[in-house]
Amino acid sequence: MNEFEEQLKQALSRREPPSDFAERVLAIARNQSRPAAAARLRLWFHRTRAWRLVPVLAALLMMTGGTVYEQHRRAARGEAVKEQLLVAMHIAGSSLHRAQHRIFDVETGEVTQ
Amino acid sequence: MVATVASGAVPAERDAALPAFAEAVEAHKAMVYSILWHFLRDRSLAEELAQDVFLELHRNWASMKSSQHILFWLRRVTSNRAIDCVRKRKARPETSLEETGEPTVLERVHDAFLSAYLERMVASLPEKQRIAIVLRYQEGMELEEIAEVLGIKAATVKTQVFRGLDLLRAKTARRLETHRHQP
Amino acid sequence: MKRNVFGFVMAMALAMPVGAYQDLKMPVNLDKLAERASESVDVTLDASMLQLASGFLSKDDPDEAQVKKLVSKLKGVYVRSFEFDKEGQYSMSDVEAIRSQLRGPGWSRIVGVKSIRGENSEVYLKKDGGQIGGLVVLDAEPKELTIVHIDGAINPEELSELGGHMGIPRMDKTKTGKKDKDNAKGDQ
Repeated sequence: MNEFEEQLKQALSRREPPSDFAERVLAIARNQSRPAAAARLRLWFHRTRAWRLVPVLAALLMMTGGTVYEQHRRAARGEAVKEQLLVAMHIAGSSLHRAQHRIFDVETGEVTQ
Repeated sequence: MVATVASGAVPAERDAALPAFAEAVEAHKAMVYSILWHFLRDRSLAEELAQDVFLELHRNWASMKSSQHILFWLRRVTSNRAIDCVRKRKARPETSLEETGEPTVLERVHDAFLSAYLERMVASLPEKQRIAIVLRYQEGMELEEIAEVLGIKAATVKTQVFRGLDLLRAKTARRLETHRHQP
Repeated sequence: MKRNVFGFVMAMALAMPVGAYQDLKMPVNLDKLAERASESVDVTLDASMLQLASGFLSKDDPDEAQVKKLVSKLKGVYVRSFEFDKEGQYSMSDVEAIRSQLRGPGWSRIVGVKSIRGENSEVYLKKDGGQIGGLVVLDAEPKELTIVHIDGAINPEELSELGGHMGIPRMDKTKTGKKDKDNAKGDQ
């Protein structure tokens, strides 16, 4: 490698991203890891062979008038709505962030208002 | 149970693989961010795209076969994202090779300032030359490795690198001349 | 010098005379955009849904805790976001039905930025007495369109505080001066 290429290599040396970059990526990845409540339930159902409990559950349901079922339905619905809310707030925050960024572009003479 | 990335094994399930994924982020975040930064010269955009790349890695974690595979995959996806971003936004950095104004009093030819100048010039190269130069000189990759990552022939990579170097040398030489003649 | 863009414009918006406002309706024609989009997001959460969701947000998770705090004062969150394969799949007339509502009394446009790259941002605030009663963000790029309506007492600064959470890059509020020089100095 000649001198110019060495200078180029120095100019293109790696830079670190902001210190909280990894933390932010992992925070989103954790959310990505959570399967939907229904899928979680399916996974649990098959892994624990919970299907053997179906007749027992059926009897319990009949006895409790479906209360357990309703509670589970509400929990599943709540988790689903929570995920929607997190998506919506992420999009809202990102859009506002882009608007702020474009304001700074105006201030630095990049774009016109 | 803690999953770690050994030389060959990569845990398949995303949830259990979070610790291994976290290791991969720590190990490669500077590489991914730097490729994007040197290519785009836009800090927040580089950060945003770097984040996207890692999240895509997380989504595709089950298909990762080894640490080497992860490295290859990250270089490929990062390069493609960088090129796509420029094409999508039709964005070129403010300073092009042809449009560089006269250097200011502060921008004397000095190692540190030459570095900054070279960085800016790299970011104004045509996209294909730019990514080849970044992968070659930031990552120290061989031409064949670059060819594999970009999915093109090694001969093409060689041409792109040499053309990029020629352009950079020409502009730097012109700038050195200018300084020599300054009082 | 620390800049506080939204704090300043909010103060100006609140100083303006208050008028009656109407409820905002998302245009029906946006459904047609979803058919053309390669990806679309449609979220409609009224007060009861927000309350339900809030009950499932964890105080221990920093992202969810931040959202829980924001949502506690809201009456609704509505998002329509579209991503297209190519440019020209939508026009600003597609969003005119919502913009015309935002020209009515009660709404103030606090941000309107148009770039030569075809990226537009508009931010509107709704006044409710001396407080902010709602926020709308219109974010239009050549291949993406996003409309966000947040109904309720929202502080844009609180929303932008999500920067640093949920993977949203933190906004560098101290950035001043020419962008090129700023970038040239880089992260040294």
